[in-house]
Amino acid sequence: MNFPQETMKRRAIRRTGGFILLLAVFITPALPAQTGKPVVLQVQWFPQAQFAGYLMAKEKGYFEAEGLDVEVRFSDEHTSSITEVAEGRADFCTAWISQTLTLKKPLVNICQVLQKSSLMLVAKVESGILKPEDMNGRTVAIWGGDFSIQARAFFNKFHIRANLVPQAYNIDGFLVGACDVASAMYYNEYNKIILSGIDQEELVPFFYSDYGLNFPEDGIYCTRETAEGKPELCRKMRKAIIAGWAYALKHREETLNVLMDYCGRYHVRTNRAHQKWMLHAILLALVYEVGENPAGWGVLRKEDFLRVAGELMNQGFIKNYPPYEEFYKE
Amino acid sequence: MSPRRPTAIKRPLVRRLILRIGVPLLIVYAAVIATNYVQSKKAAIARMTDYLVELTNHHAADLDARFREISQTPTIVAENIEAMRLLDEERLYDLMERRLTVDPDIFGMSAAFEPYVLDPKREKISPRVFRSEAGLKRADATDVGNYDTADWYLIPKLLKKAYWTEPYYSAGGGDVLMCTFSHPFLRNGEIAGIVSADISLTELEKTMRGIEVISGYTFIVGRSGTFIYHPNPDFVMRESMFSLAEILGRPDLRDVGKNMVRGRQGLLALKGLQGEEKIWMVYAPIPSCRWTFAAVIPEDKILAPVNAQMVRQILFMLAGLAGILIVIVWAASSITRPLRKLTAFAGRVSSGDLDHRIEGIRGKDEIQELAGVFNKMVGDLNQYIADFAAATKAKEAVESELRIARQIQESLLPRVFPAFPDRPEFDLYAKNHPAKEVAGDFYDFFFIDDDQLVLLIADVSGKGIPAALFMAVNRTLMKTVCLKGVGPAESLRQANEILSQDNDAFMFTTMFLAVYNVKTGDLTYANAGHNNPMVFTKDGNGRFLPSGGDIFLGVEPGFVYHELSDRLEPGELLVFYTDGVTEAKSPAQDFYGESRFVGFVADRIRKPLPEIWADLFAELNAFQEGREYDDITALFLKRSE
Repeated sequence: MNFPQETMKRRAIRRTGGFILLLAVFITPALPAQTGKPVVLQVQWFPQAQFAGYLMAKEKGYFEAEGLDVEVRFSDEHTSSITEVAEGRADFCTAWISQTLTLKKPLVNICQVLQKSSLMLVAKVESGILKPEDMNGRTVAIWGGDFSIQARAFFNKFHIRANLVPQAYNIDGFLVGACDVASAMYYNEYNKIILSGIDQEELVPFFYSDYGLNFPEDGIYCTRETAEGKPELCRKMRKAIIAGWAYALKHREETLNVLMDYCGRYHVRTNRAHQKWMLHAILLALVYEVGENPAGWGVLRKEDFLRVAGELMNQGFIKNYPPYEEFYKE
Repeated sequence: MSPRRPTAIKRPLVRRLILRIGVPLLIVYAAVIATNYVQSKKAAIARMTDYLVELTNHHAADLDARFREISQTPTIVAENIEAMRLLDEERLYDLMERRLTVDPDIFGMSAAFEPYVLDPKREKISPRVFRSEAGLKRADATDVGNYDTADWYLIPKLLKKAYWTEPYYSAGGGDVLMCTFSHPFLRNGEIAGIVSADISLTELEKTMRGIEVISGYTFIVGRSGTFIYHPNPDFVMRESMFSLAEILGRPDLRDVGKNMVRGRQGLLALKGLQGEEKIWMVYAPIPSCRWTFAAVIPEDKILAPVNAQMVRQILFMLAGLAGILIVIVWAASSITRPLRKLTAFAGRVSSGDLDHRIEGIRGKDEIQELAGVFNKMVGDLNQYIADFAAATKAKEAVESELRIARQIQESLLPRVFPAFPDRPEFDLYAKNHPAKEVAGDFYDFFFIDDDQLVLLIADVSGKGIPAALFMAVNRTLMKTVCLKGVGPAESLRQANEILSQDNDAFMFTTMFLAVYNVKTGDLTYANAGHNNPMVFTKDGNGRFLPSGGDIFLGVEPGFVYHELSDRLEPGELLVFYTDGVTEAKSPAQDFYGESRFVGFVADRIRKPLPEIWADLFAELNAFQEGREYDDITALFLKRSE
C-alpha cells in the first residue's frame, strides 16, 4: 500500500534494527520473557500510524508491565507478516481475517483491533460516478489478492460490470486519469489523493463497510500452538496492546511524535500531515461500534467473522473455514 | 524694577528656533526618507520578481527541453518496435544497447510486452538493459516480476500514451532518485507493450544545486505537489505543498499547490514555508513531465539593501540635523548672548547705573545697532539728568529768590493789625494769600492827612514775579499819586497815564481806590475795572458800591475815571475783595459767586474782622477742596458805632 520501491533499504534497516535489539537483549539479561528471547510482534508494513497502538504499548511500557519483552518488527513488500508467524520467525502478527483464513493452517485471532474496514473505492465527482451503479462500464482499479474480495462482492451485489484493471500500490494512475475509480485505504491512499491537491469535496468515496461488506481489518494473530500453549502470553499481549491503543486514542499528539520519530529512524518517506490523518482514521476504525471504552475493544464478533469467511467461500478463495470459536480465542 | 534673570525666560529663543526650523526639517526629511523607502522597496521587489520570473521561465524551459530530449530515446525504440515485422529478444536487446550507448542520461531500458504478444508460450517478457559498473548488462527477460501492475507499465497502457512516472528511489542500488519515461507501442491497433527508460535524477539535483538564486532558492514539485528537489532534504519525497498546507494550517499553500499541479504559472508573495516572514515565489510548469519549477526569495533578503540604504539615509539625516542643530544653537546664541548683555545692561540702567556702556557686541546687524542705540540712550539720559539737575538747581535758585521776593512783597503790604491802634473810629483788617510764591493781588491803606484814609485793592494781571514787580510798581505809584491828594479818580487817571506808557508787556491792573473820611464815614472812590466792594449794615444787609464802569489801569492812556461817593454809617462794614474770592471754583466748576459771599459775610457781621477773614479762607479752601487757582485777598473796614 505504500512506497513499493524501497526493498533493500528497508530490509537492511530491519536487519540493523534487529541487530540492535539483539544487542539490547544481551545488555539487559534480566528481561522476564518466557523463552529468554523477545516476543516478536510482526506488523504488516513499516512504521506508520496504522501501528500506533503497538508502538505506544512498547513506548509506554505496557508490554513490560505485563512482564513481556516485545519486539515490534516491521515488514515490507517482500515480507508477509502472516508468513513470518506461520514460519516461526515471529510470535504474533497483525493481519486481516481474510489473509489468515487463506493459509493452509489458519492462524488464531487473539484480539480484533480494528472494527471497521478502511478499504474503499473512490471516484472523482467530475467523472459523474456518484453511486455504485454509475461504475458500470467504467475503469475501476483494484488491488489483487485479499484486497479484491470486498470489491468483487461489491460488484456482485450491485450487478456492476466494470472494466477492472489492476492497481499499483499508489494512486498516481487515478490522479492522471488512467482509471475512473481507484481502490484506497481510507487512512492512507484516500488522504494521499487529498494531499495531491484534490479536495474531499471533489471526491466520491464508497466505503465497503457502508454496503454491508464490513471486513474488520487489523487483528492480532498467532499460531494455534501459541494460542493454546501460551494462553497467558496471549492474554498479556492482548492487554498490553489494548492499553497501547487506549493511550494513543487519548494522546494523539504525543503518539504522533513517537510515530514521526519511528518514521525518521526507519527512513520512511512520509510526512506529519499524512500520519496525523492516518492516526485519526485508524482510531475511527478502532472505536467503530465498540465505543471509546477499551473494555469493549479487541473483540471479533461472530457475524463479522462469518461475513468474511462466507464471502471468501463464495468467491472460491477457500473451501472451508474453522469454526468461529477456534478462529478467535480471547 | 529689577532686571530679569536669564533663567526666568520661559521660551528661550534657541528652543523656538529648534521648534520652528529643526522640527519642520525633521518632518520633511522623514517624509522624504519614507517616500524614498516605499519607492525603493517597490522597485527592489519589482526588480527581484522580474529576475525570478526570468530565472524560473528559463530553467523550467531548460529542464523541459532536457526531459523531451531524454524521452526521445524510448520513443524511438517504441517506434522501431512498432515498425519491426519480426520481433525477437535479441534484436530488442541490441536496439536498447545501442540507444543506451548514445544516451548517457538513461540508466536502464526495458521493453515490456503484453502477455503472450512476443512469445505465445511465455506470458511476461521484458528484455532489459541497464548500466552497471562493468558496463551495459542484459537482464533476464523472463525474470521480471509483476510489471503489469507497475506504474511505468500500467498507467501508459491505460492512458495509451507516453508517461513520466513520479520519481522514486531506485531498488537495489542506494538512494538514487529515479523516474521512468514510458512509451507504449502498438500492434494491430492494440497496446502491445511499453518501452521504458529509467532516468537518474542525480543530474537534476546537481543542476538544481547549481542554480544560484540571489539570496533565495529553487525547488521542484512533482505532479502531485511532492517536493522532488528542495534545498531542505527533509522535504524531498516526503513533504508536498499540500502536506505543508495541512500541517502548517496554511490553506493558501494548498491553493498554490493546486495551481502548480494543474500546470499553471504564478507570481505571489506569501508567508514562508520554513518560518520566513514573507517570501516571493515564482513558479512555472515543466510541461513534459508535468512538474513545477519554483524560485523563492525571502522578502527580507530583497529588502536588505533597501533597508541598509534607509539606515544610511537616516544616519545622514541625523548627522545633518545635528549639524543644523549646532548651527541653530550657534546662531541663537550669537543673537541671545548680546541680547542677554543688553538685558543685563538695561537692568543696570534701570537701577540707575549710567556710568557704563555696552561693549563687545560685534557685527553690523540689528543687535549691534540696538547696542549703539542703548549706548546713545544712556549718554542722552546722562545729559538729560545733568540738564535736569542744572535746571533744578536754577529753579531752586529762582524759588529761593521768589521766597525772598515774597517776603519783600509781604513786607510791602501793611500786615500789622490793628494797623491804627490809636484811631478808634474804625477797625481795619486785610490779608492776601497768594496762589503762587508771589502774589498778583495787593491792597494798601494809608492816611493822607489826619482823617483821610486811602484804601485800595488791586489785582495785577498775570501771576508770579512779573505780577509782583508790576504790583510793586503799582503800589509805589499809587502811594505817590494818592499822596498828592487829588482824589481817587484823578489818582487813577494819573497812575493809568504812567502805567500805560511803554507797557510793552501789556500788563494791567484792576483797582478799586477809595478815600475814606474816618470822622464822617464819607467815602469817595473810583473803580478801575475791579470787583465792586460791598457794604453791610450792622444787621447784615449788604449792597454793592456802584461802579462807574471804568477800564483797568495800564492799557488806555488818557482815560478819565469817574469818581463816586458814598458813606458808611456807624457799624457798617466795607468789604473789598478780589476775584480770587468770588471766582473760587469747586471741582465741579461752580463759582463761589457774589451771592454766596454776601451771605457768608452777613452771617458773620458781628465777628471780629480777622476771624471773618480766617473763616473766609477756610470756607474757600473747603469750597475748592484744597486747590488754589488764584490769590485770595480781602480787606474789611468797619466804622465804629
